[in-house]
Amino acid sequence: MTESHLDDMEAEAFELPTNITTIPQTPVHSYIQETLAAILDEMSSPEGQPSITLRQRGKKFASLFINPQTQALETSEMQTYTTYRWPGRDGNEAWRFTVALRVLAAIAEAVQEGLVISKRDIYYSDPACFGTQRTVDTLVDDLAHTMGVDRAALYVEAAAKGLVVGYYRIITRMDAVVDARFSNQDTLVPRTQDIHEVDLADVAWVLVLEKEAVYRRLASSNYHIRSAAGKGILVTAKGYPDLNTRAFVRKLFDHSRQLTHKRPQFYALVDGDPDGMAIMATYKYGSVAFAHENRNLNVPGLHWLGLKIPDVVAGADPLEDNTLIRLTKRDRKKIVAMLSRNPIWAADGPEPEWRIELQRLLILNVKAETEILYDMEGGLSQWLDRKLSSR
Amino acid sequence: MSKQYLSCGSADNAHPVDIFALAVTDKQILSASGTSSLKVHSTTDPDFPLVQSIDGAHKVGCHHVVTNGNGSRAVSIGFGGEIMIWSCHDGVWAKDEGASVNKATPADVWAIALSEDGQYLAGVTQDGHIKVWDLDTNGEEIRDYETKGSFGTCIDLSADGRFIASGHENGSVYIFSTESGRMPFSLSGLVKPVRAVAFSPGGKFLAAAGDSKVIVLYDTSSGEQVASLSGHTAWVMSLSWSPTGEYLLSGSFDGKVKVWSIDTRACVATHSETDKAIWSVKWLAKIGRSVGFATAGANRSISFYREATGG
Repeated sequence: MTESHLDDMEAEAFELPTNITTIPQTPVHSYIQETLAAILDEMSSPEGQPSITLRQRGKKFASLFINPQTQALETSEMQTYTTYRWPGRDGNEAWRFTVALRVLAAIAEAVQEGLVISKRDIYYSDPACFGTQRTVDTLVDDLAHTMGVDRAALYVEAAAKGLVVGYYRIITRMDAVVDARFSNQDTLVPRTQDIHEVDLADVAWVLVLEKEAVYRRLASSNYHIRSAAGKGILVTAKGYPDLNTRAFVRKLFDHSRQLTHKRPQFYALVDGDPDGMAIMATYKYGSVAFAHENRNLNVPGLHWLGLKIPDVVAGADPLEDNTLIRLTKRDRKKIVAMLSRNPIWAADGPEPEWRIELQRLLILNVKAETEILYDMEGGLSQWLDRKLSSR
Repeated sequence: MSKQYLSCGSADNAHPVDIFALAVTDKQILSASGTSSLKVHSTTDPDFPLVQSIDGAHKVGCHHVVTNGNGSRAVSIGFGGEIMIWSCHDGVWAKDEGASVNKATPADVWAIALSEDGQYLAGVTQDGHIKVWDLDTNGEEIRDYETKGSFGTCIDLSADGRFIASGHENGSVYIFSTESGRMPFSLSGLVKPVRAVAFSPGGKFLAAAGDSKVIVLYDTSSGEQVASLSGHTAWVMSLSWSPTGEYLLSGSFDGKVKVWSIDTRACVATHSETDKAIWSVKWLAKIGRSVGFATAGANRSISFYREATGG
């Protein structure tokens, strides 16, 4: 996340009407204090109707578009607010108010104590009340969106997911230097808030991987140091990327753009199936669930390295046919939904090659996993050497 | 004896993305692609000009387009599962308001074929059903044959309308009699996904091919396999018989196009203008004494070939 972005967020938060006299330290503190104070006020009056108002995140596909300036998936949906009152119109509204208040209270405690909690902790504090983990997850994201901050600012963290290994150095905000260049040890993707500077000198490529197994194979063979295509950085979020991993890759991308010569190139290697394509799209353009955040997380310079079905079919021969898997009904439904609703795959969208790939999958009714490259001529490393060098 | 077919022109970048299907009439060629438009090119003019673009036909793209014998009707099916019926008047195509497919048509119809007179549409579904609709009586479904449930990748109707053949992902090839509603033959020989089936013009043979890379010829009266044409080194995606039934045309995933003599069971010509997948091949209507064909696929152009005459 960039400095200017944080500034925008704070400016926005300060425009909220405020009726308390203490000067809020951050938008998080001010939101929590205001909201809880207002609820207490209402509760102390006999006719009182305590309420919580949440800013809704975009949900409508029709309002999504690719912003030509940011090249991110964004929404044109107007900001809408939903207010849950207690006791409200019915039991459902009363429950919604209750769970929102419970989550907010948990966050308030974490912020006050300065202790990081997980969404899981919140859920297990009262599973009967929340019903599902998803209720908690959605509310945390809604509250962060309402306050205009990212989840880390609420002291709520998902279990760290992303892994990175590569030829880079980080200078932290505390002026510590983390030199990752000669290590093949797993490192969790660092929080971008802690990064002051990334040294990418001599890095030729950054490769984003869908599969953890592929990442591990490459990391353990020191591919990031020994590649014929030069020194590189390997990143995986083990599937769909979380906000933290996306923010880190974006940070690398932003720093790479500041280099005056020999800028590293960014590549994605994902499965040849609808989820692989959607994962790559999440890195490059963003997700539907966080349409309001995508402009700060997207990586416009991401190139599609594979897996491309024509490559697979052409190379399938010596590997025999167990390399190709049939699409499931869910795969086919997902592809049609991607083609018809998401602007990334639209006929006049930014990625005609991605669109045609999805259509080819439908026609051939096949998909392929990245792991099939292990058995290609020369194995995964040589396949990557060829692909990375030919660009 | 080898035959010579000379490249005689092309509609370059007829579509901005892969062309998945071709259909011909006596004067035109229709093409379907990953875009929402169907394109119509003239085959009577040596420059093969674009004569019509049917825009917005299929929002998420189109994978099959078929025509009837005299070119009065065409049917196309899109990735969204929608079936569109078109009629042609004075060389101009428009939505056929008089015809329809029953609204209850399952969304998982994949490949389609149209009868010579254009009245009947046959389709194979993703769960292996073969269905027939009467387009002139509100698209009523008049046949529903069940198979073992393997994805139906391709279908053809014999010119006399008496037989339907379907090819499936598990390698199955079936022939159905439209009169009795029975399945006389389940044809063996292919074990990998079948991508194309085609009846010879007289109905004597059925050709089938796919990921096995060989083309198998069956005798439709006995169900016996009578020949196996090998030579392709990649998946065979499309087959088409010459109007006389003397030659069979095939296109494969590695961009190769082959012409086979049915008499000698040998490949008489190979073209490899592209290394990108060929999705569709079609013989053209005879113009004068000249015979030719068209091919299209991942190189986004339609290529035309004519038989070299004299010599």
